[in-house]
This record gives sequence, C-alpha cells and structure tokens, in this order.
Amino acid sequence: MRKQTLSLAAVATGAALALSACGGVSTTTGGDDGGAYPSGSVEMYVGADPGGSSDLISRQIAGGLSDELGETFSVLNRSGSNGALAAAEVQQAEPDGSIISIQNASLFAITPLAVAEDEVTSIDDFDVVGGVSRDDYVLVTNSENPWTSIDDLKGAGKKLTYGTTGVGTGAQLACALTYESGDIDSEAVPFDGGAPALTALLGNQVDTACLQTGEAIENIENGKLTALSVYAPERIDFLPDVPTATEQGLDVEVYQYRFMTTPKGTPQDVKDTIWEGMQATFETEDYQAFNEQNSLTPLEVPGDEVVEMLESDRERYASLVEEYGIDLGDAS
Amino acid sequence: MDAFLDGFSVVTQPGNLLYCLIGVLIGMLIGVLPGLGPAATMAILLPIVVTVDPVAAVIMLAGIYYGAQYGGTITSVLLRLPGEASSVVTVFDGFALAKQGKAGTALGIAAIGSFVGATVSIVALSLTAPIVAGWALDFGPAEYAALALLGVLLIATIGSGHPVKALIAASVGLLLATVGRDSFNNSQRFTFDSLQLADGLDFVVVAMGLFGVGEILYNLEERHGKVHVPAAVANVWPSRTELRQAAPAIGRGSALGFFLGVLPGGGAVMASLAAYATEKRVSKTPERFGRGAIEGVAAPETANNAAATSSFIPLLTLGIPANASMGMLFAALLVLGITPGPQLLEERPDLFWGVVNSMYIGNLLLLVLSLPLVGIFVRILRVRPAILAPITALITILGVYTINNSVFDIFVMIVFGVLGYLMKKVGFEPGPMVLAFVLGALLENNVRRALLIFEGDPTGFVTRPISGTILALFVLAAVLPIVQAVRRRRTATPHPNTQREDSLR
Amino acid sequence: MSDERTTARRVGEGDILAELEAEVAHELEEQRPPAGGPAYQVVAALVTLGVGLAGAVLAQGYGLGSLARPGPGLWPMVVSVVVVVLSLALLLVGRGLTDSERFSRASALPLVGVATFVALGLLIPTLGFEIPAFALCVVWLRFLGGESWRSTIAVSLGTVAAFYALFLYGLRIPLPHLF
Repeated sequence: MRKQTLSLAAVATGAALALSACGGVSTTTGGDDGGAYPSGSVEMYVGADPGGSSDLISRQIAGGLSDELGETFSVLNRSGSNGALAAAEVQQAEPDGSIISIQNASLFAITPLAVAEDEVTSIDDFDVVGGVSRDDYVLVTNSENPWTSIDDLKGAGKKLTYGTTGVGTGAQLACALTYESGDIDSEAVPFDGGAPALTALLGNQVDTACLQTGEAIENIENGKLTALSVYAPERIDFLPDVPTATEQGLDVEVYQYRFMTTPKGTPQDVKDTIWEGMQATFETEDYQAFNEQNSLTPLEVPGDEVVEMLESDRERYASLVEEYGIDLGDAS
Repeated sequence: MDAFLDGFSVVTQPGNLLYCLIGVLIGMLIGVLPGLGPAATMAILLPIVVTVDPVAAVIMLAGIYYGAQYGGTITSVLLRLPGEASSVVTVFDGFALAKQGKAGTALGIAAIGSFVGATVSIVALSLTAPIVAGWALDFGPAEYAALALLGVLLIATIGSGHPVKALIAASVGLLLATVGRDSFNNSQRFTFDSLQLADGLDFVVVAMGLFGVGEILYNLEERHGKVHVPAAVANVWPSRTELRQAAPAIGRGSALGFFLGVLPGGGAVMASLAAYATEKRVSKTPERFGRGAIEGVAAPETANNAAATSSFIPLLTLGIPANASMGMLFAALLVLGITPGPQLLEERPDLFWGVVNSMYIGNLLLLVLSLPLVGIFVRILRVRPAILAPITALITILGVYTINNSVFDIFVMIVFGVLGYLMKKVGFEPGPMVLAFVLGALLENNVRRALLIFEGDPTGFVTRPISGTILALFVLAAVLPIVQAVRRRRTATPHPNTQREDSLR
Repeated sequence: MSDERTTARRVGEGDILAELEAEVAHELEEQRPPAGGPAYQVVAALVTLGVGLAGAVLAQGYGLGSLARPGPGLWPMVVSVVVVVLSLALLLVGRGLTDSERFSRASALPLVGVATFVALGLLIPTLGFEIPAFALCVVWLRFLGGESWRSTIAVSLGTVAAFYALFLYGLRIPLPHLF
C-alpha cells in the first residue's frame, strides 16, 4: 500500500512538472489565477520523514483529496525541528491554497515549552481548515516487569527510567507529568523516535516508555509489553482495558492530533473546498481502514474548534510544566 | 523460512530485478573506471535512488557495492590499474598472467571465485543474520556505544593511511556529527545561529562532498588523457588443472572474506589483502606469486566478494555500518524512513530478505554478465576521463539539490568537497571521517543514554557482559597495532623498497 | 616493470601482510605526484589542533553537566580533547611522513572546478539548471579537459538534455528549470 502511495505521489509530481513546463523558473507550480480551486496541482508539506505516522496520514489525505477534487495533491517531506521547517514553508507561501499542510498539535502546544522563544511557531500564522485525527500516547513496560498500573510504579522502590520518543514531544511530556505528579523517582532517556524507544523497551533496557499507540499496540497485543495507562480523556477503542491516567488519579491528559492548515489569509471558498474534499475522504472505507490500522481516533472537527483545543492545551501544558517544574528542554 | 522464500518473490518482481540489474551494471562500470569508488558512487546516486521504492533502492545500492568488486578485477588484470582498492593485490598475479597471454583465464577464475565467495557468504549471512538479530534485544545503549566506539577505532586503524591521521579524521567526524540541535535538551551546538544548521549537517550531503566532490576534484588534478592499452582477452574458461589449483584458494578466500567482512572496519579491501597474504604463506611455492600464480588472483577476488556480502550483517542486524559503503547504505535507509537495526528483520522482512536474496540473483547476473561484457568495459575505458568528469560533477550537484530542494546543501557539499580534496592532498583519508560522522550521533546518544541509565556510573559500561566484552576487544584493537609496530621496527631490515611503508600504513 | 623487482625480494619469515602493504604502496607510488615536505604535515596538524581547541572552547560554553546528567557540551568536549591530543601526536611523529602530495600548477584545475560548482549553485535558483549546467560542461570539457570544441558542444548538449529527461521526466524530481 505504501508503494502505491509513493508511486501516486511520483505521478502527481510528474503531472505538476508537466503543467509547469512553461513560464519562468519553476519547480512545481500551484494553481494559476482565476477559475475555481484547485486549478493546478497542490503541494502538501509534511514536517516528518517518509514512513512515520505524520507522513502516512498526509499521504492518505493527499490521495483522498486528489480523488475528490480532481487535481493532484503531492506530498513533500521537509522534516526537522518537529515540523517547524515545513510550517515555515506554508507560512511563507501564497495564500491561494496551492501550498497546504497537515500539521501536528505538538508543534504548537508542546514545542514552545521546549525551544527558545524565537523558534516558536504560532498557530496565529495559519488558517486552520479542520481536524484530521488523534494519536494517543500509552505508557508501557516490558511484561517481564511486575508492574500493571501507575500505582505499581510508585511502589517500585527504585529510580525508574522512561524512554521517550524525543525532546519536546508529547510522549516526553506525558511521561514526565506522570512521574512528577505521581511523585515517582525517575530519569528520562530520550530516543530518536518511537522505533528505537520500543526496541530498548523490548530488551528491558529502560523500565518504561511513553509511545504512540500505533507503535506499541502490536507488542501489547502479543503480550511482550504491558500497557499501564493511556493519556486520552477517556479510554480508547484500540485498548479498551487500559485505564486512563485520570482514572488512576493523575491529572495527565496528553495527546497528539493533526489538522489541515493553509497560509494565513487564504480565501474562504478555497478552505471550504478543501474541507469538503477532506470530509468526503473521511467517509471512504479505505480511509477508515487506514485509521483503524494505525490506531488513529478520528478528530474530524471544524477549524475553529481545533484552534480552541490548541490554545487550551498549550495553556494547560504550560501550567502543568510549571507546576511540577518539568524540564522539557533548553528554553523552559 | 517463509520470510526467506517471500524474499525471493520480492526480488523476482520485474521492477526489483531491473533495479538489481542496473545496480550491478553501475557497480561493474565504476569498478572498471579508476577514480570513483563504490562509496562515492552510492553517495552521488543516493538522492536519485531514494525516489524509487525503498526495497528497490536498497537492492540497487547493494548491487553497486558488490558489482564494483567484480568490475575492479577487469582493470587490475588487463591494465595493471586497480579500478577498486579491493582489487589492488589482484594486480600482481593478474597482470602477470595477462602478460603471459592468460588474461582470459585470470578473469574467468576471478569471476568464478567471486561468485563462489559471494554465494558462500550469502548462505552464511542468511543463516547467521537472524541469530545475530535475535541477540539484538540484549543490546542496550551501553552495548551500542561500545560497538560504535569499536567500529570507529577499527575503521581508523585498519584502513589505509597513517593511523594517527585516520584517528584525527575520525574524531573530527565525531565532532561534525554534534553540529545542530542536541537531541537531549534541544540546545544548539556549533550552529552559529544558522537556521539551516539547526538540524545538523545532512549525512548524505557531507558524504557526497567528502567522497563525491572530493574525488572529482582530486581526479581533475590527475593528468587527463592517459591512453590505456588493454591486454588481449582470449579464452575466459580456465582449464581443469587451473580450477583444481585455484579451488583451495577460493575456499579459504570465502571463509576469510566472510569473517573479515563482518568485523566493523573490515570489508573488501582488508579481506583481499589478507587472503593474498594467506595464500602466499600456505603455498609450497611462494616464489610463483607475483609471476602469475592463479591462486594469487583467485584468493583476493573470492575474499573481497565474500567480505562485501558479509559486511551487510552488522548493518542489517545491529544498525552499525562496517565500512564507508555500508555507511552510505545506512544513510539511504534512514532517508527512506527505515531505521536499520534489530527490529528490521521483524518489521520489514520484505526489505531484509529482499535485499539478501537480491544478492543471490545479483551475483548470478554478475557471473553471467561479467565475462561476455569484458569487451564492452574495455571499450568504455577508452572513453576519455575528461568527458566523464562533468557528467559526474553534474549528477552530484543536481542530486544533492534534490535531497531537500535546498541550495544551501549544494554549498555545504562544496565546502566538504574542498575539505575532502585537501585531506587527500595532505594524506588524510576521508573514509574514517565519513564513517565516524555516521556513527557520531549513535555513539554520543547511546553514551549519554547509558550514563542516564547507570545514574552517572561509568563502570556500568564494563560490568555489563556484552559491552564489557566489546570494550575488551576495543582495548585489544587499540593496543595490538602499537605492539606490532614496535615489533616490526625492531625486526625491520633496511631495504630500499620498504622505506615507503609508512605511506600506506 | 616493477613486478620483477618486487618478487625478487626475499620472502622471509617476516610479516607477509606488512610486506604486501609495502608492495601495494610501491605500486601506487608510481602513479602519485611527488610528496609534499614536512611543512604539509605540520600545517595539517596545526589546522586540526585549531579545530580541536576551538571545539573545546565552544563545548565548554555549552555546559558540561555531570556524568549522571551529561550536558550538551560534555561529548564535544571529550572529542575535542581527543582531537587536540592526536594533533599534538601528529606534530611529533608526522614530520617524516611521505603521504602528502605537493601542490603544483595542476592544482589550479580543481580550483576552477570549485568555482564552476559555486557558480552553478548560485545560478540554479535564478536561471534554472539548464544554462548553468551547459556552461559547466563547456568549461570542464574545453578548458579543464582539453576536448575539441566540436566534442565539447556535442557532449554538453547531450548531457544537459539527458539530465533534463532523467530528472524531470524519468525520475520526476522537481529541479528549477527554465524551459
């Protein structure tokens, strides 16, 4: 399936090039003036490397939009700085809908707590079209360990290590909040993404780890890992037996979600067209199976709701981080 | 077992077969052409290759590496001009055979030996890789740190070049790897407030500069237009006597090559040297070596292919590249969004077995192709280097631009190209620097992770059984060359030919 | 040919591998330009020494932290110190090495090569890749390679056309292009 999306993207880029074969220096072209949106191919920047969940989601939506709206939506990877580089591309683009991006909440709600002020990306620089899906974090431990709940960790009687998927990520925040608010002696061990953190956990090199559900679920189901907690507002469909942190008496709610953005000042009809195309995509069986397969919970809400969520999450995280004196990175 | 067989169905997809064929052909071609090595070629082609399907991309890059081992033989035998560092020793007996009118025999034996060596190695790889991957979960941060440290040291000391210089190059490579955002607390290091440097130097860009541009510039300075007059190639099929003579050498070469290839810092160059030395030592008639001994061709050519194959083991199972070419493959996998390591076999069996099994097919292709194509490759050698130079230069520049669609990358590459050129001029090999650069982040991050886990107690590195063993090997590897050097100095007799020894060591 | 000479050497009890390496070195030696003198070695060592010292100073500023909580500067500091120590060692032992190559008139060629690289990098965003690439080919073929004008034009045109087809149609990679 991955191969298909790749070749689809290749075809899309090719078509874009064919279209752009005239007029000035160009790489790929956006829509030209006049006519209904989209009048040309659309570039979707993604702030992550190929293969991760951000990339897969972007490609899935891009495929759906291409089908629904009749023009090619091609995905360009511009990874780095938790998506800030891709965000900058969109921020600087013409507000005509020819360059859009599905972005991560963590860039706006969590990264500001971990980086210097001038590196902060603000949601005010974008128009938010609408939400896509939510990706939940889960606290896991190797099943050789005797622990089955957060309370067990409190009684572990030693300094616990927790693997995270990197600095300034939701996984780190979730774990840090758990240990700090639960008053458990701990040390964070950052890894470069989910896969190495998972490997270390499987080898019992670290005691616990916070991972995205999609990364951990296979090993939870086959019994190699024990899930101790999820950080969603309520139990999630993919792990119905795992209690939330709130149920276990800790006020920790952290999740990643993704939403469609356009440059600030994009005309309303363009945004409406994109949103309609996305909603049609959400309806397809293919897309729903994709969500299922990657343990993604739909979050198909309008843009203003997403902005509200981002604002409240950012404030909530900031106050929690301050309350428990958590060090997410250099600037906090 | 199923996954193993599925691997074959992956390779035999027409697209993948095609990429395998393209890979081995390019590999042979650059093996024939003196100048660009496989690592440089992989670096140059990487940005183009990653646009295709990951499995096909890796199959093709792997093909370039082992294909080059076949190609390098041709020029060694016919022109006394090793196309590849791993074919340098083949020159001695290969060219001597060619002068006796037995060029065809030498090439034939080399091709057969290469095929046998590679096949033995692939079978061993297929059998051992899953076992090694099984241990991989026992590898924690401390073990990875120790392994990476051993790798950097071995690469620096075993390769050609003065060991102190190689170690300096490697250390500077480690330092370069720290440029950018610290992955533990996000602080900027050596970025000088440049946004483009905030995420560090792109490995592919650095490697393309040091290897690709560096070699292009260096070759530019070499005199152009040397006319090559290859020896004539007659019958390529060796006689039964010759085969019988070569068989034990091929057997020993396969085993030796396999083991030396697995070692970090090992690989084809080292294996070919060691195999030649071994043959000379066990031979009852060592005086024939250098005068056209068929074993002198069979052994190194077998060993370099066996090693080229087995050096995939540490990369595919532990995520540690054993040499510069494997470093490029490592980078390719990362660019493709695949982290090579213990989970690879489980998560991407299609890729793992697809690549491993592509080597069976690729070597078969090489065996079938290499002999009939000798004539064509000889003709390619007549193409003036001056014509190839701008083409490689353009592939490099346009290629590096396409990685991130960034002009900044072009300039970073040029800077490293100039550095690579200057390093070559003053006797520093760029290889250790590139490889240390690849391993740099891995090494630092795992050292720091381990220290966090050990709560700052460095004895943890030594007391854990696996990392302790690796570190013991590290000490051994560090001390042995010194002991040898001292011993050699003591026993060395002054000889006009050996005083230049330093220049290679 | 040197084959006769090298094999005539006594095959003694000594380390065959070492002997072999000397032999290989000798083989390669014939194709190499003359070695640069001790000055080359000293300058190289001083440059790496400078890199090490600068690294150490900067690393100090990043914060060393402790072993239990390593700071961002700790590892660069360790590596920088290693670079400094090794550079000093090279200063001591390296003077007699013969592995450098003297710069000569031919060294101007790479300089021109670098200049064309830089020009290409500067021009691609504004001019597209076709014309600068063609110009690079011409410079390399005619002036660096000494090809005839006829083959220069033919090869340059062919190369640029091939790249156009390869990147834009074959691989569908976006490159800035004029046409």
